[in-house]
Amino acid sequence: MQKLVVIGAGMASGRMLEHLLDAAPDAFEVTLFNAEPRGNYNRIMLSPVLSGEKTFEEIVTHDDVWYAANSVITRFGESVTAIDTARKIVRSEKGETPYDKLVIATGSAPFIIPLPGHNLPGVVAYRDLEDTNAMIEASARPGAHAVIIGGGLLGLEAAAGLRLRGMEVTVLHISGHLMERQLDETAGYLLQKDLEKRGIRVITRANTKSIEGSGKVERVLLDDGTELKADIVCMAAGIRPAVALGHAAGLDMGRAIKVDAQMRTSDPDIFAVGECVEFAGNLFGLVAPLYDQAKVLAKTLLDEDDTFVVRELSTKLKVTGCDLFSAGDFAEGPTREDIVFRDPARGIYKRLVIEEDRLIGAVMYGDTADSNWFFGLIKDGTDVEEMRETLIFGPAFQGGGGAAADPLAAVAALPADAEICGCNGVCKGDILKAVEGGAHSLETVRAQTKASASCGTCAGLVEQVLAVSLGDSFEMPTAKPICACCDLTHEDVRVLIKTKELKSQPAVWQELGWKTPNGCHVCRPAVNFYLLADWPLEYRDDPQSRLVNERNHANIQKDGTYSVMPRMWGGMTTPDELIAIAEAARKYDAAVKVTGGQRIDLLGIKKEDLPAIWADLNDAGMVSGHAYTKGLRTVKTCVGSDWCRFGTQDSTGLGIKLEKRLWGSWTPHKVKLGVSGCPRNCAEATCKDVGIICVDSGYQVGVAGAAGMDVKETERLVDVASEEEAIEWTVAFVQLYREHAKYLDRPYKWVAKVGLDWVKDVLADESRRKSLVERFDLSQTVYQKDPWAERAAPAEARKFQPLADFTQEAAE
Amino acid sequence: MDDLLEAPTNTFIRIAEVWVPEGDRLVLATGTYDGLEGFGAASARATFAKGEGLPGKAWAEARPIVLRTLDDSTFHRAKAAAASGLTAAVAIPVFAEDVLLAILVVLFADAAHVGAIEVWEDSANSLVLSDGYYGTAEEFERVSKATTFGHGQGLPGGVWASETPILMRDLGASYGFLRSESAGKAGLKTGLGLPIPTPGDKIYVLTLLSAPGTPIAHRFEIWDARAERVGPEKKALRIDGLCEREGFLAPKENPPLDALSVTAWQGPIGRVLGSGLPHVQVGGAGLPAGYTQMVALPIHHENGLAYVVAWYL
Amino acid sequence: MSWIDVGALDEIPLRGARVVKTRSGCVAIFRTAEDELFATSNTCAHKGGPLAEGMVHGRNITCPLHNWVYSLETGEAQGADNGRIPTYPVKTEGGRILLDGDAVAARAA
Repeated sequence: MQKLVVIGAGMASGRMLEHLLDAAPDAFEVTLFNAEPRGNYNRIMLSPVLSGEKTFEEIVTHDDVWYAANSVITRFGESVTAIDTARKIVRSEKGETPYDKLVIATGSAPFIIPLPGHNLPGVVAYRDLEDTNAMIEASARPGAHAVIIGGGLLGLEAAAGLRLRGMEVTVLHISGHLMERQLDETAGYLLQKDLEKRGIRVITRANTKSIEGSGKVERVLLDDGTELKADIVCMAAGIRPAVALGHAAGLDMGRAIKVDAQMRTSDPDIFAVGECVEFAGNLFGLVAPLYDQAKVLAKTLLDEDDTFVVRELSTKLKVTGCDLFSAGDFAEGPTREDIVFRDPARGIYKRLVIEEDRLIGAVMYGDTADSNWFFGLIKDGTDVEEMRETLIFGPAFQGGGGAAADPLAAVAALPADAEICGCNGVCKGDILKAVEGGAHSLETVRAQTKASASCGTCAGLVEQVLAVSLGDSFEMPTAKPICACCDLTHEDVRVLIKTKELKSQPAVWQELGWKTPNGCHVCRPAVNFYLLADWPLEYRDDPQSRLVNERNHANIQKDGTYSVMPRMWGGMTTPDELIAIAEAARKYDAAVKVTGGQRIDLLGIKKEDLPAIWADLNDAGMVSGHAYTKGLRTVKTCVGSDWCRFGTQDSTGLGIKLEKRLWGSWTPHKVKLGVSGCPRNCAEATCKDVGIICVDSGYQVGVAGAAGMDVKETERLVDVASEEEAIEWTVAFVQLYREHAKYLDRPYKWVAKVGLDWVKDVLADESRRKSLVERFDLSQTVYQKDPWAERAAPAEARKFQPLADFTQEAAE
Repeated sequence: MDDLLEAPTNTFIRIAEVWVPEGDRLVLATGTYDGLEGFGAASARATFAKGEGLPGKAWAEARPIVLRTLDDSTFHRAKAAAASGLTAAVAIPVFAEDVLLAILVVLFADAAHVGAIEVWEDSANSLVLSDGYYGTAEEFERVSKATTFGHGQGLPGGVWASETPILMRDLGASYGFLRSESAGKAGLKTGLGLPIPTPGDKIYVLTLLSAPGTPIAHRFEIWDARAERVGPEKKALRIDGLCEREGFLAPKENPPLDALSVTAWQGPIGRVLGSGLPHVQVGGAGLPAGYTQMVALPIHHENGLAYVVAWYL
Repeated sequence: MSWIDVGALDEIPLRGARVVKTRSGCVAIFRTAEDELFATSNTCAHKGGPLAEGMVHGRNITCPLHNWVYSLETGEAQGADNGRIPTYPVKTEGGRILLDGDAVAARAA
């Protein structure tokens, strides 16, 4: 009988032995080594053992009885230290064992990030029963904290298990969303929401700095200064093939032990199977391909023909109550089409990726009923052209007409206590009560509840609540949605972002039922602005959701060059600034133009020169004039009481103060201010978004003027006695505009919609006015930064250069 | 394990009854009496209005109710219960949104048994014990009363957060840090937690904690019947289960392609799928080998029947 | 095909683009939210707008000058606009971006 030695009793070698002993029980004398002091168990089921939903006994695949019955000589708890290919023996702690055929199935080892403190007791991986037991033991202490590093499959299963055992659990994940290798942004968002519902804290984009503690782990520090208590730290950052033996034996190696399609290594008598192999450039981590390899290897050992092929894989997270599915490829390659279905009310998201009439990838969250069917279509490469329209509704709808997504779903999903009308504090429940009481139109609901009676922004939502409760008997006026990506208007989206506390783009796409994966050039900039205006601390401005000028912080011109315009506070400058501007203009070959906003424009700058000219102007003490943003542009002033014989107040000084307070803030559209020192109005303040006229008795603050496509005089907002009050009212007005206006509505358009009286009412309320100012200032702590200085730094400046330049190279 | 089966142990639960609304009263639909037919006869004669007796109270208050003694004035069939040696009872309402479908009543005999039935409800963002019957596990009862669970914590918190029935093994080693020690001492080993949806805003979680010597049941199963999981056809997949004879009943593959499935009206579980009502059965077709009794409880979510939980004696 | 290494994948943000200057004109390399790469001419068929400065959404690019929208896969202008931009094979290997130099040269010739 031939001697077969197997190194490693894992799932792959276990399955291989089953096939082998089934087919030819007497072909080999089998010796099985395992470094772990036990035989084969279903390693992927450790998670339910960790959570207490299974016992270890339940996941044992081969017990002693099985090994005895199959005459397998077991050498458990004994590590193999070397393979001598010449003498055909393996060396272990207890001596030498000869083989005729050898199978390496050493699997993989967890990747431990070499952070400071990674050696402290209490830092564990999550790979075997010992790790699992260590975590169970740590969870037995009341109030114990666990930190999981890595938000992939294993890390999240560990988090859910430890939470179920009562620990306070935090997951640190380096990328922007959980399980980014298997899920897209939206599914990752839903998963995070689901885990947070279980009391698990999730921090994405988390860079771990160090693990600390005296004698054992006590806390984890992040780069941003966050400190997390930790009684145990679980590193679930990935696995590495365990290939030291194969390497030392001189086998052909790639990232793991190279095998052919028969699982043969470069040595004809040595085979490898499982996570320690590399086949055609692929490594393997999920169980399905390991089982395929096991089957092939059993055949090979028996001199039968079989070939291993790489197949599509699917993933299921083993967290009770989390239904997600991901299969195939939704990441790389050209010529693809997406089909997206979202049901915000039920937390369902499905996305299919089609290429050349074949389904090649699927992600599902919350509804995985059809996952096997989709997986089958992917594996079989079925032509889906005929059923493309209804494909996403699954097999039950094929041949039947599919149900369309419900445009009212987002509103139907709102709970009764969700605030619909912020002005008057009216909740969905109040409106439903009015409807039950017989109010069946917007007007009657408004009369009874005051919903939409003030600024009116929420009128569309009130109508949707009516439609949800009255069904077909209520005829919805046709409001214009933002774009084809959704069924909601700008106003609806703004209100829902506040009411539902949506703080990320994926949250908006999912909870408001977007029909595209990530919006388009129309809706995405608007949503980006709404999010940053409402959640300045939680949401981060997304440059890829900004149009070219705001992304490059310069105005693109018709020939693709840019204009650069430094800020001149209140239109004041100095000889030194003018010299620096003149030198920059000469150095970068710019055309020079004096603008209507009292500053100097340098035109014709090449994109790659932008960081350099910015650095030059920064050096002279100047910052960006934001002549390209939907934000504060200029504050135009006259010379005022300092110089002018008619001037009543220091209009230049007020203009400078306003500009220094407001610059850098993002607004729905551009905002221009003017301050005139007397009613002669040399600064043309009466056609600005906010225009202040100084008079003897104080300041007349006017708003909602226009001098563009429309020309309109400002309307008087308030007369105030002091400069401080004039600034406070101006800032409060700008913040109210930031919080309520539709993206790309200038203030005069917005005021026309909500009514100046409403604006006056809000701002006249001192506590509301002051809290508007507070919120504005809070937002400025994040956004009042000179974009030039940030981008003139070398790492950022590089992004303005071509990725590569082959124009200087000789032709081939 | 085999020894244990050779000498069948007394189980904690003696009687299970299903009461259904007929007009404005609850009438007995089915019951399993296991030698206590005297009590069965008393039940067959009884009907309850909303608020009346144990089933009526569970209907009126729309929550699970535990009676720790049956000489309580709530319990109308006290005489028959005393004659049958019954000592405690629990009533579990089954609602589909606002509509009461049935009340499942379970009665216990002999307080010397170790085991626990608990009702947890939410209060100030955590779960607190609202009611419980503990047999002789007095220390465990004391600890439980002093324990609260956050979202996702322990068996009750896990059920609350995931809105899914959960079956836990080896409570002594795993049942959350707060109670594991006393659960271990009390000999409580297996725990089944179920969400009990009711029309109000209140959250209820029912837990059945079982000890090997006097088990609540010898076999537990959890079936997933949500359309999100099984599709539009009325069917269910067995997602977890534990059996003293067959061992592990959950799917072993990932994804769980090997999960056992039944369709509506196929066997006792299928019957629950079809009718949406609880089902109790003694003998007859469809029981797993070696079992003579079963209780199956449906759990309805807003989109229809979501789960079926079954236990077998 | 002749695959030319034009830079690291990390250099292009998700939903962003960078330009590669070639002797036959500028090529824009786009990276979508799903981490797919596409390469097209950088020049809009309408008025020559630099497409790499536009907004990437789904597998489309919107020109920064006048909002023409092109499919990154086919190069066809979408909606009411008529026009087409050349597309080129591009792929990633080990975190590097490889552009098909032959295709770029051929298209220009």
